[in-house]
Amino acid sequence: MKKILEVKNITKIYKIYKNNFNRLKEIFTKKICHKEFISNKNISFDLYEGETLGIIGVNGAGKSTILKIIAGVIEPSSGEVVRHGRVTALLELGTGFNHEMSGYDNIYLNGTLIGMSNKEIDSKIKDIIAFSELGDYIYEPIKSYSSGMSMRLAFSIAIFSEPKILIVDEALSVGDAHFAAKCTKALRQRKEQNMSIIYVSHDLNSLKLLCDRVILLNHGEVAKEGMPEDVINSYNFLISKLNDADEKMSIKDDNKNSFGTFDVEITNVIIKGKDSNSNIISSGEEATIEVSILSKKDIPNMTVGIMIRDRFGQDIFGTNTYHHKLNIDFKANKEYVCNYKMPLNIGSGKYSITAAVHSEDTHLSNCSHWLDNAANFEIAGIVGEVFIGLCRLKPNIVFKKVDIK
Amino acid sequence: MKHNILLAFSFAKRDFKERYFGTGLGQLWYILSPIITIFIYTVIFSDFMKMKLNIIDNSYAYSIYLIPGLLAWTSFSTIIMRLSTSIFEKANMIKKINVPMHTFQLSIVITELALFTLSISFGTIFLLLVNQPVTFSFLWMIPIMLLQTVFAFSLGVILSLFTPFFKDLKEAIPIVVQLWFWMTPIIYMREMVEKKYPSLLVYNPFYHFVHVYQDIFLFAKSPALSDLITIFLISFSTFILAAYLYKKMISTIKDII
Repeated sequence: MKKILEVKNITKIYKIYKNNFNRLKEIFTKKICHKEFISNKNISFDLYEGETLGIIGVNGAGKSTILKIIAGVIEPSSGEVVRHGRVTALLELGTGFNHEMSGYDNIYLNGTLIGMSNKEIDSKIKDIIAFSELGDYIYEPIKSYSSGMSMRLAFSIAIFSEPKILIVDEALSVGDAHFAAKCTKALRQRKEQNMSIIYVSHDLNSLKLLCDRVILLNHGEVAKEGMPEDVINSYNFLISKLNDADEKMSIKDDNKNSFGTFDVEITNVIIKGKDSNSNIISSGEEATIEVSILSKKDIPNMTVGIMIRDRFGQDIFGTNTYHHKLNIDFKANKEYVCNYKMPLNIGSGKYSITAAVHSEDTHLSNCSHWLDNAANFEIAGIVGEVFIGLCRLKPNIVFKKVDIK
Repeated sequence: MKHNILLAFSFAKRDFKERYFGTGLGQLWYILSPIITIFIYTVIFSDFMKMKLNIIDNSYAYSIYLIPGLLAWTSFSTIIMRLSTSIFEKANMIKKINVPMHTFQLSIVITELALFTLSISFGTIFLLLVNQPVTFSFLWMIPIMLLQTVFAFSLGVILSLFTPFFKDLKEAIPIVVQLWFWMTPIIYMREMVEKKYPSLLVYNPFYHFVHVYQDIFLFAKSPALSDLITIFLISFSTFILAAYLYKKMISTIKDII
């Protein structure tokens, strides 16, 4: 395969000065008067023709910096970017639009800005307008557009400028589902025509869908590079480490989520995916919810239950040891762990776990401890066949011809 | 490079179209504004105040003296002021799109040069109306106007490079420009200051341009070789300095805007 972009040992150091005068002084004299902030450290990678490369990383990992360097809007402190073709960057949709002028005039304006000639625009303007679905609004000034409309126009211009390399920075998150799907389709089509894409997003699902290869940036360095699945798992692990510290605090501090007699106390709740080893889990992946309990009294015949809620607070799934006919007797000052192991056959999104200790089948009778928001997790990506919605029902599909009598 | 120059022209075209966008008279304003300037100075100074210059035999002599200097200064100062704030104005663009800053700056200069040419043409038409001889020596206007624009461009670029570092410049430049205007014999005659403050003329780069224009308009006199050399050196050396500073500073500027 042909290399289309070579990023060689890019380092970007932002110099921090006390004031602008010191900065100016340093340009013209040899005296050093700055502190350094390293945004990118020795980043190297190649992009091949027709390849889609994803870049992920937590906020401040240096994603935007490396994109801007590739696009050529800022210069690296050292290293080199070799481009073998036109690079169009959608760093911010609609940059360079003139809001007084019509969408039609702005196609010419924006088109020339990203490197198209007038002749080229003439031949493509019909397709651009058709793709943007703006219809007669194209003759209205941009200032009357909604943000979704101007985003559609900007994306249409970019995709029809037929760059060799397209840089997309979280751009597809704007706009409705219909247009997002259309964009994804258009990107795939261009990919088949050998356009290369650099795609940055926090939407792990779309990364898995679009990318051939993903690079994980952490603290300005390439932490991992490879298949989307693997790299996203490492990314999830990285995030969960960041989250850990916060979450432990929240259980102890927040008494609003918690009520009961506290004869028996839930000390910790953890959820972990079998493959991801973190709280970001693929749908269908086996996960373990571990509820740690400390008992202060001798109490027989108790129940330990869990409930999974989605981000709207809707109950998704709940069960307890009573329904599973498990008999639990607590002894004073002993610690217990209750593990729930199950495949998480639920749709993608963010969920919270509620845990409780009580007697019999509901917490209405003798509730020792009820803990809301004990842990959080996210379902991203799907193992096995793709589905839509909240739950995976695993249908058995039979298709056959029916003879008409 | 070629692409960037073409881009600058298309920006300039856009600038031209946009400036009076939405106004009733539209692009007629481009013609109106120099005509009104010429009209004001003619009526006020030659008709109302009856200012007379006895150096040439024309009742509009003072207007003839005023017009080239004023029009040239208008172009010169507009370029400097627009360029000095250009990096701020285009900050959002150059941070997001890979178009070099000097392309935007060049487009401003192209627009202003076109307007300058237009206004000087009206000035020449005015001369014909008041029976002032227009000869081939007026062709000298073209290279001098070009060199003046190069000078204004270079100076504007230099100032634009320093404004991101010192925001005070944004406030100071208009004041200094105004001061410079009154230090240059545009409204008054050079003879008035020549004896008392000769250095005011020698070290004022714009004086060298303006008195060439005035000689052409008043006496249809071609510029002396020494004047041409001075003008060329002023423009050329400022241009070299601007190019050097631009190269040295632009990448730092991209980090701070």
